[in-house]
Formats: sequence, C-alpha cells, structure tokens
Amino acid sequence: MTRNVMVIDQRRCIGCQSCTVACRTWNELPLDIVYNPVMTDGVQGNWPNVHRNWLPTLCMHCEKPACVPCCPTGASQQDEDGTVWVDYAKCMACLACVNACPYGMRDQSKLEPRLHRFVRKCTFCRDRRAEEPGSMPYCVQTCHQKARIFGDLDDPESEVSKLINSVETFRLLEDLGTGPQIYFIPDLGGKA
Amino acid sequence: MADKPSIFDEGVECVKSLCYFCHANCGVLAYVKDGDVIKIEGDPNYSSQGGLCCRGTSALLHVNHPARINHALKRVGEKGENKWEQIDYDQAIKEVAERLNQIKAESGAEAVASAGGTTRTDDWARRRFLNQFGTPNGFHNALLCWIPTFMAETCVAGWSPFETDLGAAKSLILWGMNPGASTLGGMHGYTDLQKAGLTIIVVDPRYSETASKADLWLPLRPGSDSALALALLHTIIFEGLYDFQFVDKWCDGFDELRDHVIDYSPEWAAPITWLDPDQIRQAARSYAMNKPGCIQWGCTWDQNGRASTTASHALALIRAICGNLDVPGGDGMPGPALNFLTDEEMEANECLPEEQKAKQIGSNKFKLTSWPGYQLISDNARRKWGKTLPSEWFCEAHGPSVFKAILTGDPYQVRALICNATNPVNSYGDAKMVLAALKKVEFLVTVDYWMTPTALQSDYVFPAAGALERPTIVTHYGATDSLMGGRRAIQPKYDRHTDMVFWRKLGLACGQDPAMWPWETEEEAYWDIIQGIGLPISSYNEFVDNVRMYYPPLHQMKYENGGFWTPSGKVECNSSIMRQLGYVGMPTYIGSPENPIDTPELLEEYPLVLTTGGGIMPYHHSEHFQMQGIRYIYPDPYFSINPETASEMKIAQGDWCWIETRRGRIKMRAGVEPVVAPGVIFCPRGWWFPERDAAADPDNPFGCLESNVNVLTSVDDWDCDCMGGSWANRGLLCKVYKCNDLDNAYKPEDAQWSIPGSASEPGVTVMPSDQKLCREPIPFEMPQPTKEVPEGFVWTWQDDQLYQESTGFRLDESGWLIDPKDKGYVDVYTGWRYDANQDCLFDAATGQKYTMDREPIHELAGIRIYPGQAESGFELPANLVWDIEKGYATKPGHENLVYNPDSGWLVDPETNVFYEVTNCWAYDPTFNGLLDMATGKKYTMEYEEIAE
Repeated sequence: MTRNVMVIDQRRCIGCQSCTVACRTWNELPLDIVYNPVMTDGVQGNWPNVHRNWLPTLCMHCEKPACVPCCPTGASQQDEDGTVWVDYAKCMACLACVNACPYGMRDQSKLEPRLHRFVRKCTFCRDRRAEEPGSMPYCVQTCHQKARIFGDLDDPESEVSKLINSVETFRLLEDLGTGPQIYFIPDLGGKA
Repeated sequence: MADKPSIFDEGVECVKSLCYFCHANCGVLAYVKDGDVIKIEGDPNYSSQGGLCCRGTSALLHVNHPARINHALKRVGEKGENKWEQIDYDQAIKEVAERLNQIKAESGAEAVASAGGTTRTDDWARRRFLNQFGTPNGFHNALLCWIPTFMAETCVAGWSPFETDLGAAKSLILWGMNPGASTLGGMHGYTDLQKAGLTIIVVDPRYSETASKADLWLPLRPGSDSALALALLHTIIFEGLYDFQFVDKWCDGFDELRDHVIDYSPEWAAPITWLDPDQIRQAARSYAMNKPGCIQWGCTWDQNGRASTTASHALALIRAICGNLDVPGGDGMPGPALNFLTDEEMEANECLPEEQKAKQIGSNKFKLTSWPGYQLISDNARRKWGKTLPSEWFCEAHGPSVFKAILTGDPYQVRALICNATNPVNSYGDAKMVLAALKKVEFLVTVDYWMTPTALQSDYVFPAAGALERPTIVTHYGATDSLMGGRRAIQPKYDRHTDMVFWRKLGLACGQDPAMWPWETEEEAYWDIIQGIGLPISSYNEFVDNVRMYYPPLHQMKYENGGFWTPSGKVECNSSIMRQLGYVGMPTYIGSPENPIDTPELLEEYPLVLTTGGGIMPYHHSEHFQMQGIRYIYPDPYFSINPETASEMKIAQGDWCWIETRRGRIKMRAGVEPVVAPGVIFCPRGWWFPERDAAADPDNPFGCLESNVNVLTSVDDWDCDCMGGSWANRGLLCKVYKCNDLDNAYKPEDAQWSIPGSASEPGVTVMPSDQKLCREPIPFEMPQPTKEVPEGFVWTWQDDQLYQESTGFRLDESGWLIDPKDKGYVDVYTGWRYDANQDCLFDAATGQKYTMDREPIHELAGIRIYPGQAESGFELPANLVWDIEKGYATKPGHENLVYNPDSGWLVDPETNVFYEVTNCWAYDPTFNGLLDMATGKKYTMEYEEIAE
C-alpha cells in the first residue's frame, strides 16, 4: 500500500513563501485562495535573545478526514494512497466540508460570484502525480530549502519514513483523532 | 479541469531556460506549446536543484502581465503626463539616434550618459555602444554592489577571491548578506553544509532569516562594519591566529600592517559596534581556527558610505593572512576566462579615445572604480593573467555625480540619459535629487518592462524582452572562468526586444560600423563567446541542451606557480595600487557618515540608527510591486522597530509613521518585533505604488518618493567612499514619529530636492566640484626606473620588471617574453612562440614554423626538409641519396618518397603510406606487416615471407 505523507522540516524553512506562490501559479488560483500558507509568529523573545520559525501548512490529508463523510454528494473523497480531494463535477459548493475541516485548509474564498462554484483544496498535486508517476507536488519541487519532503510512509526506504522514524516530529491538532498526515520536525535550535 | 493544458500534451516542447529575476539565475524548464509557455518548473538537473522562489514561479505572470510595455512609446504630452503615441520600434530607434548624434555634435559624446540597474542585460553590448559612440559615462548601481570590494580585493591579492569552495570549508562568514531572502539556491547549500559540520557566522544588525539559522550571530550596530572588520584583523594578528608560513612566504608588508592595526582592539571596537569584546574574539577565533574557511561577500560591504572599502579591504586581508586564498575549502580566485571570450573582449574598449576616458564623471574623485584605478588594475591583470576585467561595472561614471551634473552643469552639462533596466528614482541614492534630474534632463530614453516613475519622465520608452523571451548567459560580470546558459523559451512577444538588439539597432542607426555589430541575435553572439571552449557542438542552443553549466577543471593554489597576481607578485598588505592612486594602502578606520562619535550634534534631533537596502521576499530591488500574485504576500511597506523603542514612542504594529533623516522623510507602517536592536530602524528598499495613477501627482509620480527609502540616503561626496564612491545607505541617523490627522499626506515640500542633501535648504548650496571628499588624497611620488626601458616596454616599480606594452608579456632575464596565460616563451622581435617539443618558433597567426634563427621551416608530410641544402644534416642510410633541390633524403627509383630521420621510415606524402628503407615494402597496419606492392607478397616485420 502507498500512504502519501509530507514531512515539513522547520529547521530548514526560511519563510520565503515560494511554496505558496508556486502552488497558486500551478493551480492557477485566484488571489484569495491559498492552499498552503506559511504561518509565523514573527521574531519572538527579547533582543538579542530572539528566535523565529515558520510553519508551512497545507491540507493535512488526514487518515480519518472530517471533510469526507460530511459531503452530501460524495464529491469530497479520499484515494487509497490517502490523498483527499474534491471531484469538482459533483461538488455543489455547500461548504459542509469547509466547516468540517479543523485546520481551515479548504478554500474559503469570499470572491463573488464564487469562482466556478466548487470547493478547492490541496490534492498533493494529484494531477502532476497522475500524469507522471513519481513526480513531486509542485510546492515540494520548488522549495529551495528542501523543507517540504513528500513520500510514501509505507515504504521503509523512503526519505519520509526514515525521517519520521529517526527524528522527533509533531502533528497539528493530533488529539482530534483525524490522523493528520503532515509531520513537522520542530526547530529546536540544533543543526538541520 | 480537463481543458487545462498539460505539459504531456502532444507538441509540447521542454526548453531549458534560466530565471532572470535575481542574480542567482536558477534553472527553469519552460514547457512551450505553439510559441507560448504553458507552464514552468524548476530544473532539477541545474545547480538550483529544481528550486524556484516566488519570483521565479511567477515568470508566467510576468510575461503576460497586462501592465507590461509592449510597443515603443513616444511622449506626446508634457514630461510625466503619461501621454504617449505608440510608434514603430525601428522608427523610434531612428529618431533617438538622430537626437543623440545631434547632441554629440553640439556638446561632445560625453553629454550622453547611460544608467543601468542590476543584471537583466548583456552589459557588454551597452559598453560596446557607448565606446563606439565615444562617451565614458555609463554607470550602474555597481558601487553599491560588489565592485568596490572587488577592486580592493584585487589590490590586495590580484583578483577577487569570490568563488567560495564551501564543500571543503569548515567555517563560513556571511557578512551583511541574507541569502534566506535573496539567493535561495545558495541558502540551500549553506543549510546542507551546516548539517555536515560547517560553522556559519552571520554578521547582521537584523535577526534575518539567515541569522536565525546561524551558529554564531553578531548583531552589530548598523554601519560599524569597518570597526568590526579591523578588530577581527587585530585579534587574528595579535592572538597569533594567522597562517605564519603563508604570511612569511607570500605576504608583502605584513609588519607594517601589524603596526598599523595595533590600536584596533576588540575593546576599541566594542562601543562602536555595540558588541562585547569577547564576541568579537570568539568570531575571530572561530574563523581563523576553523581552517579552511570562507568569507562570503555581502552587499553591506559596499553600502556603508565613506566607511565601505575600509571594511572590505580589512576583510580581504583577514582572508589572506589566514591562508584562505585559493586553497581547497577557501576563497577561490578564478581569474578571467582564458578559453572563451570574456565580457571585456566583447566591449570594444579600444574604441574609446584616451581624452574621453579623462572626461568620465567622478573619475577625478572616486578613482578605484573609474578609469584611473581601472587602468592600473586592468594593465596589471593583463600582465599577470593575460586577460582583464570588463570595464562595464568595474570602470564606470559615478552615478549620483551624473545626476548632479544634469542639475548643475558641473563639471559639464549632461544632456541625454539612456536608462536601461533601471528605475533610478527608487534604486539610486537621494531619490528626490534623482527625480529632479530625470525631469530636467533634456533627452531621456528608457528601456524597461514596465511604466516606472523613470519611464514616465522619458521622451521615448522601449519595451524590453523578459526572462523567458531571451537566451541567458551567466558569466558573473565577466570575472570568472565558468559560465552557465539558458535558452530562449519563446520569441519576444509584441514589439519587445532584448537589450543587445536595442543597442545594436541604436548603434547602427547612429552610424556605427556594421562590422562591429555582426550578431543579429544573442544566440549568435553567445556562440562566438563560447566557441573557444572547443566543445563538440555547433550552436549556443546545443550548448544549453548538452552542457548548460561549463566549469573548467578546478585549479587551486595557482599562486604556487608564478605568484599572486598583484604588481609585486605577493599579497600586498600595503597596497601599491591604492597608494599610487593617492589612498592609504592599508585599511584605516573611518566611521559611517552619521554616528554618535563623529557627529554627536545630530543625536538630539535624530536619535535612532537607520539601516536600509536589505532585501525582502518577494521583491528584488524596485521590481515586482505591480504583480498582485506576489504582492499580496507583502502588500504595504513595513519598517522594523524593536518593541522597546516602539512602546517608548507609543507606536503600535501597523501604525503609519514618518521616518526622517537630515535629507527628507518617508512614510511606512510599523513592523514592531525584536528583529532589530532597540534604537535601530530597518527600512526595506525600492517601494513605489504602480497601482496609483501615474500623472495624479507630478511631484511624486506613482508615489515613488512617499515610501522610498532612498529619500533618506546620502550621496554627498563627503559621505561617499573616497576610493570606490559607494554612497551611504546604512548606519545613518534618523527619527521616527507617528503620522497624525494633520500630517499624514506626502506634501510638495517633502519632494523638494537639494545638493548637498538637506531637507531644510532646498536647491544647490554647494556645487559638486566644491564638495570635498572624506579624505584628502595623499601625494604619491612614482619611483624612477632602475634600468633602461627599451621602446615599447614599460617598467613596473613594484616588481622592477619590464613588460611589453602591446601584449603585457614580461621580459624575462633570459631575453624571452613570458606569456602569463600559459607561462610560454615568446620571441621578443617577432612575437613567435617557442615550441619546446620541436625546438622551434611558431607563428600562431599564420601557422608557420621557424628555426631558432628565425628561418622558415619547410615541411613535407610532417617531415622537416631542407631545400637547397648541399648535404643532409644526419647520417644517411646506405641505400638512400640526398636530393639537394628538394632537400630531403630519398631512395633512388622512388624519388617521391621522403625519408624521416626521426622514425627511419620513408613516407609517401600523397598517401601517407610508410615504406621501409631496404626493400621499399609498404607497411600494412591491417596485419602489422610489410607488403611488396610490386608482387603483392606479404612479409613479417622481420622480413619473413608470410604464406597465403
């Protein structure tokens, strides 16, 4: 089985937003839709004892996604490899999934009229992977710092498996029980 | 969406292109269908490893942006009214050429100047035009970016050691450089190497993206770089951390240097830099004791105004005495490319007359980076390397002085300005003065992607082709021996043209010799550049497809064979070139233009320290503000202020504030976070508001002065670096106050300009030529030659040698000339090269060989012959005869065969078949034996017949 996950290495991220812009250009998104914002609290601490880090995000492609069972038309669905996506042909933009997602990672566009009348989200670049097996999501490819690492967690030889099994990682809102598949390596001040 | 074009569709071609939105030039794969790019991706097989930043991924937005200029525009309204007539490109070129020629006829070629920005262009093409036109007044923002550093480093060691060999390095200093927001491809490498054990020291007054990943961070006071560099030099010398052996063998004047820096202790530097003396010592030890190590150049080195070159000079010496020059893991000195054409060879510098060089504006003051210094450095480079630096970038007019000349006519009136790929209002210092100059200049031509505040003032605007519409060649300003390339993904859209085509068309229209402009496209010119490498290819596009990144074999420690490339052949701790130009030969402390120690009277009014010029994602200089797709990341100008300072002034996050220096004020929003020290203000560069109505406010078009940090910077001569001419962007004094209801709009009086820069005294109060420099020149007496100097030779006082003037070859004690490129011997009288294999002279121009007595050598089938010589000069085998007329030994009956005394065989020059001497049997390589042509019988090499 394939189980696609992403590891995000906060030790390497420098907050350049390349992934965000790359995603927008690849998916040709309007200005107010962002699939993968890079969050930061800015510089913290008292000068000169300061620190900063960045939290690149995206759809968590949960093992038990809250956004799939709530969909009345079956448009919101999950592939066997864990990818959560929306079949635009079936979507009627009721926004049930947008409300269900605890991470706010589904399109909440306020554009009027709503563009094309369907809900959008990150698909781990399902289109790219379908066209060319083995290709990476665009945000992964474009990251200069290689802070986003994508792969198959069921493959013990994959980089993501090795990282998750060797370095301390955390996941966001893990206690909600949705099983998010984005693993973060925290920046604890050591070397990346 | 099924209708979305896919890169796997039929007929989609993948073109290897290069990004051109900053200097990193990351690899791009452009997917082209029917002459249009449908998608781009980072090229995983390029040094950038598939990465593209937000600027790079926006290339498609750029190429199709509705605000792009697509046709040549001619002004029809008043300057700045934004009223244009669209005209044919070639017609516009013709009209511009006529006007330029007229100005040249009336006021001399020097009345035409040209401003450039950062690399988006083939700068050699601009210089090729300017040289043929006859004006020395081309300039860039070069003096804020590497060039003064390069020249100081070249004075010290003979070339800039800028190619860091990081893979083998143990320590790295990133000084005034933030690759985490500027060159992301580089940052990736640093992060990887740091993981592998590299120690990274970051010197930055800001807790930058890069500083947040550093092993050691030195948050110095902005503008105090020279003090820190000198204190590091002092510590390394007086703690004995330098490389004793290297200094002993390769450094000239070290004792003088040691005595010179004795007072620059960490304790001396502490109050200037706000650092603890132990922090400075720690940094010095960390670099000097973790050998080999690298020091990466950062823009800051050239932006501290009058203190700039002092810092880079000190850092150049730190590198040198630690033995980190050109060694594995150190800072490599590539030298000029010897096997392909350098940018300098494309510039046609021989076309510019000497008397025009002398008219270069600013060259009487800032000599290191203009003709006086360039000439010394360039002549020396020719003698030591065999080739030299380009004059573009490294030998330019002083930009701010040209703008001052437009406004004052001092030293003479500049009447025309061609701005190519630059928006000087936002990118040059003292923006108010620059805008006034652009409005005043009689004839202004702009080549750009966008309608910028500068283009708005122009008489003609030409549309420029962008990254995907042009091939790209990366030669690192013509200062290295490697190159990288990218192809043109699509032909330029609309009436856009590349800059080389612009200069070529303009040159031809001005009446320049078509033979000087042989290339119609970049591809043709680039092919000429790279042909000398000798790769088995036949076009530039083939180079990109198959090679893309060309690196010659890595040669390190080249100085072991022939010394350093300075005039003396050693690392010059007391630079002879600097002294000859009237400067101190060793780094001598000078404070940044405004600081509490030198100008305490300013503190009451301006209590805060201002630093500017730093880059922020997603912008590059003054670019990309019109691209909504990335502007949304950083929509408003924010300055950084420490929460402690902000709370004292009751400034909250997001408040609009005025930031004011002696020269003027601008408006920005407060970014309150401890990213800078209390008392420090950081302002990002370049802001203008392309979304505004251009013509609405002629005093402030596109809001180009309102949030433009260059309103605050200083270009007064006494604030500029007296060697390199860098103006003052960092370490200035300022004040900050909140905008209130009565004072929140930019007013006409805020746009009043002045020379020298002053908000309180508008207008010209001191003429440029009356402005003093921060240091008086030191008279230098040239030593007299110690030996007779033959005609056509020059004597250099530093190494007491003679060099041939025309070639730069050194006259050796042996009486031969030595070519520095390959250390080969050349005959003084004829210029023919000595060929040690054949002990003869060789004329490379004709291919003719000569004897050591300069008699022509005759050859037949590669065998030397002696027509007319009475006897053979060698022992003849018994059955051969000497043919006097033909001049070779041959066999009676087979007079067409030539005897080769070296191999002992007879050779038929027609067929190149070998015959043995005794029986005249031919050698047959198919069976490694002999063949009797007459009978067809075969023999072994031992003359035994082989039975069929």
